[in-house]
Amino acid sequence: MTEHLDKLPFDEYCKTVFNKDTLAEKPEALKGYRVLSCTQYILGPCAAAYLGELGAEVIKIEVPRLGEPMRHCSPYNESWFYPVSRWNPGRGTSPAFQGANHNEYFVTLDYRKPEAKELFYNFVQKTDAMVWNYRPGTFDRWKIGYGACKEVNPRIVLAWCGGFGGFGPGRNWASYDILGQAKGGVFSFTGHRAGRATAGFPSKHTTWIMDYSIGMLVSTAMLAGLYWRDTVSNLGNYFECSQVQGSTRYTEYGLPLWGRTGIVRMRWGNWDTEICVNGIVACGLSSYPHSDHPAEKEEGYICVQAYTDADFSNLMNLIGRPDLAKKYATHDDRVEARAQEEIYPAIEEFLKDKNKEEAARIFTGAGLVNQPLLTIREAANCDHFLERGSLGWYDDPYYGDVFTQKVIYKMSDSPPRLKHVHRPVGCDNEEIYQRVCGLSSDQIREFEAKEII
Amino acid sequence: MSDDLKKEVQEAPLLWPLTPIPTFEEVYDPKICTEASREISTIFEGWLHPKHEMAKPEALGQIRVLECGHGGLQCNSMQAGGYLGELGANVIMVEPPGGSPIRKLTAFGRKRYMFKDNVNGDLCGGTFLHECRNKQSITLDLTKEEGREILKKLAVHADVLIENYAPGQFDAWGIGYRQLSKINPRLIYVWNGQKGQWGSLKDKPGELYPSSPCASGWCHATGLPKSFGGTPIRSGERSDDILAGNLTAHAVCAALIFRNNVSRKGQFIEVTSSEAHARIHDYAWGWYGMDGSSKPRYGNWDLAINIYSVNPCKDGYMMVGGGHDRLWYRIWKTVGKDRPELEDMILDEPTLRVVIDRVGHDQQVKTLCCLTDWMKDWTREECRAKLLEEEVAAGGVSFLDEVAEEPHYKYRGMVRAIETAHYGKVLFCGSVFYGHRTPGRVKDLGRPVGYDNSDVYRKLLGFDTDKLNELFAKGLI
Repeated sequence: MTEHLDKLPFDEYCKTVFNKDTLAEKPEALKGYRVLSCTQYILGPCAAAYLGELGAEVIKIEVPRLGEPMRHCSPYNESWFYPVSRWNPGRGTSPAFQGANHNEYFVTLDYRKPEAKELFYNFVQKTDAMVWNYRPGTFDRWKIGYGACKEVNPRIVLAWCGGFGGFGPGRNWASYDILGQAKGGVFSFTGHRAGRATAGFPSKHTTWIMDYSIGMLVSTAMLAGLYWRDTVSNLGNYFECSQVQGSTRYTEYGLPLWGRTGIVRMRWGNWDTEICVNGIVACGLSSYPHSDHPAEKEEGYICVQAYTDADFSNLMNLIGRPDLAKKYATHDDRVEARAQEEIYPAIEEFLKDKNKEEAARIFTGAGLVNQPLLTIREAANCDHFLERGSLGWYDDPYYGDVFTQKVIYKMSDSPPRLKHVHRPVGCDNEEIYQRVCGLSSDQIREFEAKEII
Repeated sequence: MSDDLKKEVQEAPLLWPLTPIPTFEEVYDPKICTEASREISTIFEGWLHPKHEMAKPEALGQIRVLECGHGGLQCNSMQAGGYLGELGANVIMVEPPGGSPIRKLTAFGRKRYMFKDNVNGDLCGGTFLHECRNKQSITLDLTKEEGREILKKLAVHADVLIENYAPGQFDAWGIGYRQLSKINPRLIYVWNGQKGQWGSLKDKPGELYPSSPCASGWCHATGLPKSFGGTPIRSGERSDDILAGNLTAHAVCAALIFRNNVSRKGQFIEVTSSEAHARIHDYAWGWYGMDGSSKPRYGNWDLAINIYSVNPCKDGYMMVGGGHDRLWYRIWKTVGKDRPELEDMILDEPTLRVVIDRVGHDQQVKTLCCLTDWMKDWTREECRAKLLEEEVAAGGVSFLDEVAEEPHYKYRGMVRAIETAHYGKVLFCGSVFYGHRTPGRVKDLGRPVGYDNSDVYRKLLGFDTDKLNELFAKGLI
């Protein structure tokens, strides 16, 4: 088997070991681990979902009947997966829910009911890891926080994630992704600077990046905790990850620069403060001049990279500005702000009678690294992502054909995989409460009638 | 140290903190804090406060990582090594002789923004210093056969190898996963890149951020619509490389667990920046699949939630969030205290009564115009104080000086300073992994080129001084 692989050209070798069609033939990295997800919105749920993709059995607990709020936030209120639950067939779940809830089991439990505590402890006893993102102290007030859980199960790895953390002057501040972006710093230096275009102000990232990316870190912390438990200590753990801190953690040279020089990192639009040429420039023409979609009808954009001396001189000759190649011969010359202000408009001038495909063809022909900006529709139809199994259609057992993001990364021996995008609220009550908690069907029906589950 | 250098280092004191770090007594003053809140927070502090961190064990303390992420200017592997280092792994960063090209990066090429080594005077950029935390720095020329032989010997002692060279480069050099796994079957090998090492858009040599978010549709969806004067916009930070770094650390931990529990061997992993972004692009894909919708740019507003947006106020930009009734009415109650007519206008509007009706574009325009009309008279801090009174999540867009001085961050050690051996005092962001038993921590920031050559090569490969001198003379290290 391996000898055969050894002889393959590298491309073929990668295609073989990362083949999206053979994922199910391989074992799962986290088989045998059970993860409890007491979470809502994105930050907590996605942390558990990443583990679910790797094969952990993730049980997500939601409020009975209604489910968590993320199910009910859909763009323009117009696209829904029906039904949201068996109690409410007329309502649906938003596609925003699917990216953060792959492969999970969905049960309901109302923590505030006295009978719920017993059931919750039952879960805790049988769980390896747990993540929650209610406001700090909420679970402790209900006596189901870390203090209580570690008594019930000393081997449990818990992770709390949220806005500002459980202690300190800001412990009671609520947070959202966008607040994390704003208060943590990355918001302030994303966007055009005032004066270049009309829209010179800070800009948010299009999606809930501080939720998803801190979710990755929470999930990493849980994995590290599990590894430490299994290889070293046989002890549980408690982690706390704060969303705003993630945003501050991503500011690169921002903090060292401020601390040393008192200079505040600011917006620099689509160009790069540290590398030139490495930016996004406008092409004059649209690829879809007759489209009804305003974001397609507008001019195209392309990212071009020519930061070595040879590439830069090549690019400047290509656009008919060899004078700039001479003027800014070294990287230090051309990365200076005034140089950038001269170089990028010159490239845009060259591109003003071209669309992004033509621009890409010209740049590629000249051996320059480039990447046209794909719209969502183009990315969704891009062979690259489809053949690698990163995006694609999925025949979901509950919702039929769904187009979805698939897996977080590729692994040759224990790859993550997609088993279902998500399920209706309380869909797995019967299975999980029987199999994991040992309740009988009668008890489950009784609890459901009392709206405990 | 020469006198000149000494002077320069002394003249560059740390400008932080400008206001004192709050004390425990100030934070939990009974005048501003209930007994219950003080009690639970004290318990949390006991478990989690970073002042306890150095006395605790490290989760990945037994893991050794070789990070070969410095052949070019991609920052993904460097990020990954940083996270693994925070969790306690012994990360050995393999740089080309003379140092990583990332060291030379500085905003606008300005040397005065760089950090000067107080022994040899070398300059190092802030990004490198900040991200290469807890790492040992060694140098090795992988472009030479002899250097690659040394890497093979190092790989014997490693649990993890992370690289981000051009697709197939390591394989062609005979140090790819196929070859190294023969030497060390337990090796977990991660390749990082922008779009992939195979497939129709596979990486070109030298490809960097931001080509990855351009390919995944992310950039096209960030920024204002053209009709509002906007264009697509990249993230200020290298967001994709950061995401790929997060996921690389994640994948490494998962592979370690699999190796320990099941397989007893390593595996080949591929984490790309572009797919990390595509993975988190929430409803864009599901929405596309439903009716072919191509998610448009919507600036600082949110297509799925109203109110959940950033809008101008008197001294900057202000984030306010509250889509559900509970918060919605609190927001308008706050506004109504100053401007009752605005509150009335919103509450009387029939199309804004039901949560799910509020996300239409016209409804958002109406809502956010009213909100901004109120906010324009108040600064970020005033708006925030008024909204916090009603427990609404709100905050101004903070610049980095404000972030650095935020009392909450200082108190928690999120923003802190460290006295590095060579670069003086440096301000940085602490580890995000607060933990009870195995907290993440930052022990050191980036080190000078080849700082740990002697330590690592002696310890792992038994090279003596003569051998090291010989390698140095040949330009291999």
